Amino acid sequence: MGLVEIATGKVLSSFSVFLFLTILLLVVARRISTSVLLFSVQSAIIAAEVFATGFRERLAEAYVVGALILAIKVVAIPRAFFGLVDHLKTSRDVKASTTPTQSVFIAAAMIYLSYAAVHSYGQSVHVPEDALAASVALILTGAFLMVSRNKALMQMLGLLVLENGIFLAALTTTFGMPLVIEIGVFFDVLIGLLLMGIFAFRIRDTFDHLDVSKLRRLRG
Amino acid sequence: MILLMPLLIALLGAFVVLGFRNPRVATRAALLIGGLEIASLVVIVWQVHERGALQVGRYLRVDGLSSFFLINIAFISGLVLVYASGYLRHTGEGRFSSPRWFYALVFLFLFTMISVCLSANLGLLWIMMEGTTLASALLVGFYNTEGAVEAGWKYLMVCTVGIAFALFGTIVLYLAAVKAGMNPAAALDWVSLMDAVPRIGLDPHLVKLAFLFVIVGYGTKIGFVPMHSWLPDAHAEAPTPISALLSAVLLNCAMYAVMRYDAIVSRATGSGFPHTLLLIFGLLSMVVAGLLILVQSNLKRLMAYSSVEHMGIIAIGLGLGGPLGLFGALLHTFNHSVAKSLLFFSAGNVRHNFGTLRMDSISGMTRTMPQTSAALVVGSLAIVGLPPFSLFISEFAILSEAFAQARFLVVGLFLVMLSVVFGGFAYHLLRLLCGDPQSAPANGKLLSSEYSVMGIAGVCLLFFGARIPHIFTIILQEAMAVLR
Repeated sequence: MGLVEIATGKVLSSFSVFLFLTILLLVVARRISTSVLLFSVQSAIIAAEVFATGFRERLAEAYVVGALILAIKVVAIPRAFFGLVDHLKTSRDVKASTTPTQSVFIAAAMIYLSYAAVHSYGQSVHVPEDALAASVALILTGAFLMVSRNKALMQMLGLLVLENGIFLAALTTTFGMPLVIEIGVFFDVLIGLLLMGIFAFRIRDTFDHLDVSKLRRLRG
Repeated sequence: MILLMPLLIALLGAFVVLGFRNPRVATRAALLIGGLEIASLVVIVWQVHERGALQVGRYLRVDGLSSFFLINIAFISGLVLVYASGYLRHTGEGRFSSPRWFYALVFLFLFTMISVCLSANLGLLWIMMEGTTLASALLVGFYNTEGAVEAGWKYLMVCTVGIAFALFGTIVLYLAAVKAGMNPAAALDWVSLMDAVPRIGLDPHLVKLAFLFVIVGYGTKIGFVPMHSWLPDAHAEAPTPISALLSAVLLNCAMYAVMRYDAIVSRATGSGFPHTLLLIFGLLSMVVAGLLILVQSNLKRLMAYSSVEHMGIIAIGLGLGGPLGLFGALLHTFNHSVAKSLLFFSAGNVRHNFGTLRMDSISGMTRTMPQTSAALVVGSLAIVGLPPFSLFISEFAILSEAFAQARFLVVGLFLVMLSVVFGGFAYHLLRLLCGDPQSAPANGKLLSSEYSVMGIAGVCLLFFGARIPHIFTIILQEAMAVLR
């Protein structure tokens, strides 16, 4: 067995563990920059998995998708985030509404829940249970970050984590969707982030802060 | 090739309009491009009517159902563009908020909505549906006030998260199709899916899971309760032409996506599961929105909740199924669009003339703004479903279907909520229209662009109430044939 095959096998068998690790670290991170870095690492793990799957299943398309992830999610988006943090001149705190201890317990509960949720489906669709559980856990974590972090930037990051989860689900169950669709989804994510960036500037200019939990004028 | 025309016109039009710095020139250019756009849509609808479904490549296709929704887009976008030409006359120059940006974003918005109706692939459908959110977010935040920024942010976040669930649902359906042995390249193609589903037998658990995620995801864009939180904010804070576009076109496009999935899932697992879900969401939306209509204090929020209620009615029609239920649901999408545009146009006039939409600071409008008051009365009588207006016919069709299926719980709730909404509208309108004027409007006179579109909408409501044109009935039947 060649070195590449061994590496492929290792990546595919261990990436869920690393993803769970990023989830636990993400929920306790206190600074926006740490969270962005963790997101970048998380995307790199997923990119590695895409390459490994592409190699094992002999899918040329997967290399294109993997390269896109590397370029967009591992490099471009985190850079854009750091730029935003600098330009907005906002405090670097994520403004969590849960304490780190609570967050870890919630994250652990979510991971447990993910395993419980995929247990019945995992066997019927013949995919590794760990991978499917990791994708569901990522979706839940993204949603959790969006509701429990009050900074506009952290809500954007939560959305990205959630999107990572959906991407991973598509990858582990069907080896991804057709390439054109995949690229379209990437394009939407990019434009979406651009718009959210514009709105982040507007929120700061109009309200003088970035705490979206204080946007409560429109009710009922 | 003809299928590419409206897409190209909208996309190029957006960039052309952006080139005109002079607001008057930009407006004229936008009207011209809009005219071309509508003409190309009409040609497509006519071609489909004459020759049946058209397909270009693997990703674009138009059939009876899409062509029915294209009529809706063409008609309402025409009204909206003409109305906007007068409405924007006082708008200044700002980043993303000048007339030329307005029209450019409107054309992008139209591009995405037309693409939703034209896509033959469920993945492309999702991409374009997310595109509608992105194209309209800046339009919702157009005025850049505190309320507009908050509404825009909320719109962007809630709809993006909601629609992420729809992507998950799409993936699950894809998984079910691939697992059942379909060619991965064709497994998102909804015509091949419709053909293959009865033969290959998809895993019913996966299909149901897919539909659940899809209805929650696209239901967020439709504004089903409890995912409706973005809707009243976005409708109330957006410029009025955009409120009309959101309510009368965007919600219908999302409903169109749900109809497609409903047809596929009904074939795969029987109609029990998807129809029950549609009925639950429909009734819930109708009840909650109907009750919230009573307590509104802002005119446009009132209209927005009424949209939620009407989307509920359409979902009930779909959920009941059967020839009359489906007929009523489809007809109601069109009727509701016309009536709601008329109401939003009147609300826009109120805002221009009184500088506010708070209903407690306006009264005696019949004396100060007789034409707008007349439009408000006609629109409201239509929207609460009174004869002789067209919404009466579609609601009556849905109700007859419910009676025919002996679903008395649905009938009961439906009738009770219709009366509650009637009471709500009567209460709010009487306070607005009667009494002594509290403040004089800035300018009671309407522009010709304003009363012409309001006149067209009003006449259309009456006309369709008296007699649905023969050609429209045929197109409607072609649309229904696609879903069976």
